[in-house]
Amino acid sequence: MAPSTAFPGNIFYYLILVGFVGFFIAAVAVRIVPFLEAKRVNRLDSMPQRVWGVVLFVLGQLRLLRHGYMYSGILHALIFWGFVVLLIRSINLLLGGFHEDASLQSLLRDVYTVYRPVMDLFNVVVIVGVIMAGINRVFIRPARLTLNIDAWFILGLIFFLMVSDVLGNSAEISMERGGADYVSFWAFGLANLWDRLGFEGLGLELMHSALWYSHVIFLLGFLCYLPFSKHSHILTVLFNVFFRTTRPSGVLQPIPNIEEQEVFGVGQVSNFTWKQILDFYTCTECGRCEINCPAFLTDKALSPKRIMHDMRYVVEQEVRSLTPLGSRSETKREPKSLIESVGFEVIWDCVTCGACQYQCPVFNEHVPALQDLRRYLVMDEANMPETAAATLMQLEQRGHPWRGTQFTRTDWMEGMDIPTFDGSQEYLYWVGCTGALVDRNIPITQALARLLTEAGISFGCLGEEETCSGDPARRMGNEYLFQLQAQQTIEVWKAKGVKKVITNCPHCFNTFKHEYPQFDGHFEVIHHAELLAQLLKEGKLRAKNGLAGRIAYHDSCYLGRHNNIYQAPREVIAALPKAQFIEFPRNRANGFCCGAGGGHMWVEETPGQRINNARTQEAQEAGAQIIATACPFCVQMFEDGIPAVEPDEEKRMKTMDIAELLQASVAAEPTRAAAAEPASPPSQEQEGGSS
Amino acid sequence: MHVIVCVKQVPDPEIPPSSFKVDEAAKKVVPPPGVAAVVSQFDEIAVEAAMRIKDAQSDTKVTVLSMGPASAYDAIKKGLAMGSDEGVHLLDDAFEDGDAYTTAQTLAAAIQKLGDYDLILCGRQAVDWDMGVTGSALAEVLGIPSITFAKDVQVRDGSVVVERVFPDSFETVEAALPALVTISNELGEPRYPKLQQIMQAARKQVTKWSAADLGLDPSQLGASGVRLSLDRLYVPVSEIECEFVEGETPEEAAQKLAEKLREAKLV
Repeated sequence: MAPSTAFPGNIFYYLILVGFVGFFIAAVAVRIVPFLEAKRVNRLDSMPQRVWGVVLFVLGQLRLLRHGYMYSGILHALIFWGFVVLLIRSINLLLGGFHEDASLQSLLRDVYTVYRPVMDLFNVVVIVGVIMAGINRVFIRPARLTLNIDAWFILGLIFFLMVSDVLGNSAEISMERGGADYVSFWAFGLANLWDRLGFEGLGLELMHSALWYSHVIFLLGFLCYLPFSKHSHILTVLFNVFFRTTRPSGVLQPIPNIEEQEVFGVGQVSNFTWKQILDFYTCTECGRCEINCPAFLTDKALSPKRIMHDMRYVVEQEVRSLTPLGSRSETKREPKSLIESVGFEVIWDCVTCGACQYQCPVFNEHVPALQDLRRYLVMDEANMPETAAATLMQLEQRGHPWRGTQFTRTDWMEGMDIPTFDGSQEYLYWVGCTGALVDRNIPITQALARLLTEAGISFGCLGEEETCSGDPARRMGNEYLFQLQAQQTIEVWKAKGVKKVITNCPHCFNTFKHEYPQFDGHFEVIHHAELLAQLLKEGKLRAKNGLAGRIAYHDSCYLGRHNNIYQAPREVIAALPKAQFIEFPRNRANGFCCGAGGGHMWVEETPGQRINNARTQEAQEAGAQIIATACPFCVQMFEDGIPAVEPDEEKRMKTMDIAELLQASVAAEPTRAAAAEPASPPSQEQEGGSS
Repeated sequence: MHVIVCVKQVPDPEIPPSSFKVDEAAKKVVPPPGVAAVVSQFDEIAVEAAMRIKDAQSDTKVTVLSMGPASAYDAIKKGLAMGSDEGVHLLDDAFEDGDAYTTAQTLAAAIQKLGDYDLILCGRQAVDWDMGVTGSALAEVLGIPSITFAKDVQVRDGSVVVERVFPDSFETVEAALPALVTISNELGEPRYPKLQQIMQAARKQVTKWSAADLGLDPSQLGASGVRLSLDRLYVPVSEIECEFVEGETPEEAAQKLAEKLREAKLV
């Protein structure tokens, strides 16, 4: 029986309840204000997917139990599952505090009895989890963790709650023998120990009272602490996972009726959507985002973990100003603006690769939040790096980002018989600005056009009528320019009767496939990696001899992580008879950006190591001779990275698009004569092809 | 304070050389298909200079003035988006194919029609023909001081203080207002407009004036009034011969290179 069921314990209990629960409600209520003032966003689509997500990722802890994070994942799962199981005991305890008959134990009787040993087991499970967490923080110390006092405080609390639970239970059993108490095996065992030690009477009762009250106080105190700590995820994670985005990760949402808006991006808390604010309160600073972020890993200012913290800080600043406590402390510190708090460099460091989001166990959406801040800087403040301003102006004026190009959009066609798209062909081959206007990419465009011709694909190009897809403008924060460009292209396509589009640029691909439908542009879009894999399967293309050597495939973020196309480009390489395929250590969904995403092909990179050099280094260490990719930006980044990491020209790797690799192989004579390998890199075959 | 900025729309100077073509018979540049005209780079910087004056003195009114075909409207809009208050478009077939002299006459008539002005800013030269005389000619017609190649323009107490750029030095000069200043690229990059400003600019009315509105005689304007005659227009053929100097050792190659250069009387 709980000590609070009789006078004066009951008064004490009511005071505790009113005090703690009142405080908790007030703390939560004041934090709901920014949610109510935030922008609305509908997150009630795809309900079955949402519910299933909660089962897999909250109850199943699947994102925590990932390779590379198994230790942390297991300890978290142990504590989490323990919490879920023991929630019943906590409810039982609090209800029993009012009246003996109100407890679950009295209400559910046998059912509760069956459940008791499970709870005792999970007391231990949680303690094991807490000890593992302690070991993690003292000995393992993963670099991603913020090793602060907050975590120790919470771990201590959880540990105490478990111990006081078992001990209190044991005292109660010892005091009120009878029934099926033995099922609570730990508590029962301890109760027997108390008996054997002759521990009884007032001493035992006092111990029970002390443990009972302190358990209740720590339990409720824990609850009250949550809204102020990173452990608020306990309150929010269920909602955050449920309301997660169901769209592909590389998609940005349009600003509707942009010409009627007063603010275009996010410059203050009220410009965020409620879901974004929920993200900030759900971040637990586990740092999985950080140690996968190409910007962070090359010593830039950006840490996806810190931006969540910093944005929450600004929300909290507003929350505090609503409380009597906050209005006083405000005089001490100037409130920081959102942009100041996150930081100009940080906002521009993001390459939008989506690694953070892929890793985040609670499905936070870092990239769109940063993009919203960029939109504010660009459209509301016109405040951006000079290189970004120059690129946006270039895009506006010339419809392509390649200032100073020596090529026209039709130069690559010279000497080839490339039909102009007129609606009679099945496919539009969208070459893209980079494919047409950049020296290094022209051979790739030509190789793909030759392969399409060889396979008998009916296609045509737009030539001078092509303009930028809009992706760079959108990623650089100029949503207005993006919308103009997207609408223009959609209009042209519709007028020409375009139904199917082939593109060799993953950025164009992502925009056409997922973002043009936002403006009523519905087309069937296929990336050349998929098309080439399909043509090989169908036997329309046959790889003969061609290149030899160790080929590592680099996943473009907008093809891989954002569009889940991992297999097709690998199949193309696997089809090359003499190629030896190897993987980067970080591959597929764990792939590492080349450094060109999010407009960074044109925006100057800030301090630290260059991202492309880091990635090139990785290829070199993996023993690659050729870095294959399926993105025109990646190719350029490696072209820059290779000489930077290997001063010796003789030993340098090559970088090639899969279309170039396949074309060289398709065009090769099916003999073993070395002379029949025109595109084969010299010296590489002798060097390592046979190993 | 009223600042007038003269801007010119030019064919994009950054097109690939292969698409730059001239009609030698007509003595005209053939505009490449699908290439949009742009604001002459130095003129954009002149707008930036005006904006900096406006930033310092908020009661400054900036008018963008352009003479040119219908598409020159875009150049005026660009100036408005950067923060200018008003736009004036001098649009008349009679203005076409003039030279610096007729252009200066036409611009001067428009400026006099605008009336009250304190400072006129032009780019140091238009990036199509690169003659760089229209600005000074305009000052001459208006009878006001002209200061060229400015990298910094400050207005104080009825005068303008200008830092001028020379190949190896700077010079600071002062002139009483009204005056005309031509702006060089050393002043800095033109600002990127805020979206709100772009949208406001789209809604602003641009005044259109014809030769008749300016009270000018068409026979003195454009092609009919030119004082400069174009003899020939052609793209020069540039031939580059490339020869690799080989040698057994780097020293030997260098020696042979030096000999070759001496033969060609280059060293």
